[in-house]
Amino acid sequence: MLRVVLERIYLYSGYVAAMFLVGIAVSIVAQIAGRMQGVTVDATEVAGLCLAASTFFGLAHTFRSGSHVRIRLLLDRLPWSSRRPIEILNCILAAGAVCYLAWNMILFAFQSFEFNDVSPGLLAIPFWIPQAGVAAGITLLAVAVIDELVWIAWGGRPRTDDADEIDLENPPA
Amino acid sequence: MDPITLASVVLASLLLFLLASGVWVAISLLIVGMVLMGLFTTAPMGSLIASTMWDASWGWALTSLPLFIWMGEILFRSNLSSDMFQGLAPWVSRLPGRLLHVNVLGCGLMAAVAGSSAVTCATVGRMSVPELTRRNYPLNLTIGTLAGSGTLGLLIPPSIIMIVYGVTAEQSIGRLFIAGVLPGLVLIGLYMGYTAIWSLLNPDKMPPAEPKVGFVEKIISSRRLIPVALLIAAVIGSIYGGIATPTEAATIGVIGALILSALSGGLSWAVFMQGLMSAVRVSCMISFIIACAACLTIAVAFVDIPRTLATWVDSLGLSSYALLAVLALFMLILGCFLEGISIIVLTSSVMLPMVQTAGIDLVWFGIFIVIMIEAAQITPPVGFNLFVLQSITGKDILTITMAAAPYFLLLIALIVLITVFPQIVLILPEMMRN
Repeated sequence: MLRVVLERIYLYSGYVAAMFLVGIAVSIVAQIAGRMQGVTVDATEVAGLCLAASTFFGLAHTFRSGSHVRIRLLLDRLPWSSRRPIEILNCILAAGAVCYLAWNMILFAFQSFEFNDVSPGLLAIPFWIPQAGVAAGITLLAVAVIDELVWIAWGGRPRTDDADEIDLENPPA
Repeated sequence: MDPITLASVVLASLLLFLLASGVWVAISLLIVGMVLMGLFTTAPMGSLIASTMWDASWGWALTSLPLFIWMGEILFRSNLSSDMFQGLAPWVSRLPGRLLHVNVLGCGLMAAVAGSSAVTCATVGRMSVPELTRRNYPLNLTIGTLAGSGTLGLLIPPSIIMIVYGVTAEQSIGRLFIAGVLPGLVLIGLYMGYTAIWSLLNPDKMPPAEPKVGFVEKIISSRRLIPVALLIAAVIGSIYGGIATPTEAATIGVIGALILSALSGGLSWAVFMQGLMSAVRVSCMISFIIACAACLTIAVAFVDIPRTLATWVDSLGLSSYALLAVLALFMLILGCFLEGISIIVLTSSVMLPMVQTAGIDLVWFGIFIVIMIEAAQITPPVGFNLFVLQSITGKDILTITMAAAPYFLLLIALIVLITVFPQIVLILPEMMRN
């Protein structure tokens, strides 16, 4: 049950990231169209905020799909019995760093809220709104990393292995 | 040991340890940044990291990145691959080396609409490898031309790697793009020249000539390349002409790619979503590395490593040639184990002040790094183009590496060329400014 819910959350946050990616293109189309009509539409802020939202909402989905790069040169040559403790250590290190980051991003968003920070452009968007999104995205990544840690600690194989292989349908950058 | 030396040793060894044990690259950068900040500075770490990451993730300059990635993903899934083969084949069938040139020119064209070398290599190779094998072209050249010219995706604009460099080194992405055009054309020339000379020297290994094709038929068979040519002209032309920023050009590119893919009948809702989600994952991975690298950059800057390193290298009194040779060697070694994005962010956070102190132009240095990363794409054990070709041809990595070796040497020749004649890189951006 929990498994299904978590997988849904990762996937849907990926869809949210996709919406924001399309949002970048849409805001820039608006800017170009506006210029042709002689109306000033400044997409700089909106496109930038969409980019941040797309990056951070996509984190957990990207992690779960195994698309965050890492070097498996050594890992792949180890038998599973000696690879497993390393994978567990990696997940612990990553979980610690990401949780620390998530906590500080939440504090950061709260500070922006308290001090009423707004974006420097014409729209003057209160910064806490996109920052709360960033904090949420990093928190989701923390959940995904801990999920993977529990999975491997309970005897599972890393679920991100296959996606790392060069898949012609999904080539890397 | 003074604190800065100690910090540098911690930086290098911890990073090596984390990367080698398979910690995700972005998270390794973040951890090293935090450790350096925690051990060697009194800075308020938590809030500094949060604000640095925030500042690094919503910059205008970076907005072109996901769009160019998306554009490449759309075209990768379209019918462009077969159009390219049919359109280019009749034009090169009389040159020595014949259809092998389709690989070079096809990659050159694809590179001008896609920003990554793996996408370029895979799009062209998917169609040309079966066709060339069926016609008995020597396999080592089929693989070599593809491995080498696939890397053009990084040098010919748009280029994902250049956007990452432009953002981390604070250089104009438009100027970097334009600076890559001429070296890209020179490289195409080098590749085609080598291929032609090899086939003249080994006529017995080449298959018999194709039947002659008339000029009108050539035009007819390449009519399907016209939309791609228009797309290239729109994207690169609008940046060069100063009409559009790279982000606007990327948006035009995405729309153009969608139209092109719809017209050729390859676009369905499922294909659209696949391309979009793949673009989300790739751009998320890259932007997160950039955001984490920003934390590392701020940490090493607080510890004062880059400036100290710059002063130290300056005191050695190396000529800029010697410095570049050392850097090139260093990047080649890094390139055996790391992919391009990581090489860029690592070198940017530590080495740029040093390069600047030596009086090297940062746009020129950007192209220099990009070519080094192209070489890294075809050096084992970690070289993404080698992996792509492995999955297309089913040959082992050693065969592929050997086939790619001459093209690797040609990349090094290009490095020497642009070092001796920096104008190859700088002339177009200079003209653009005036």
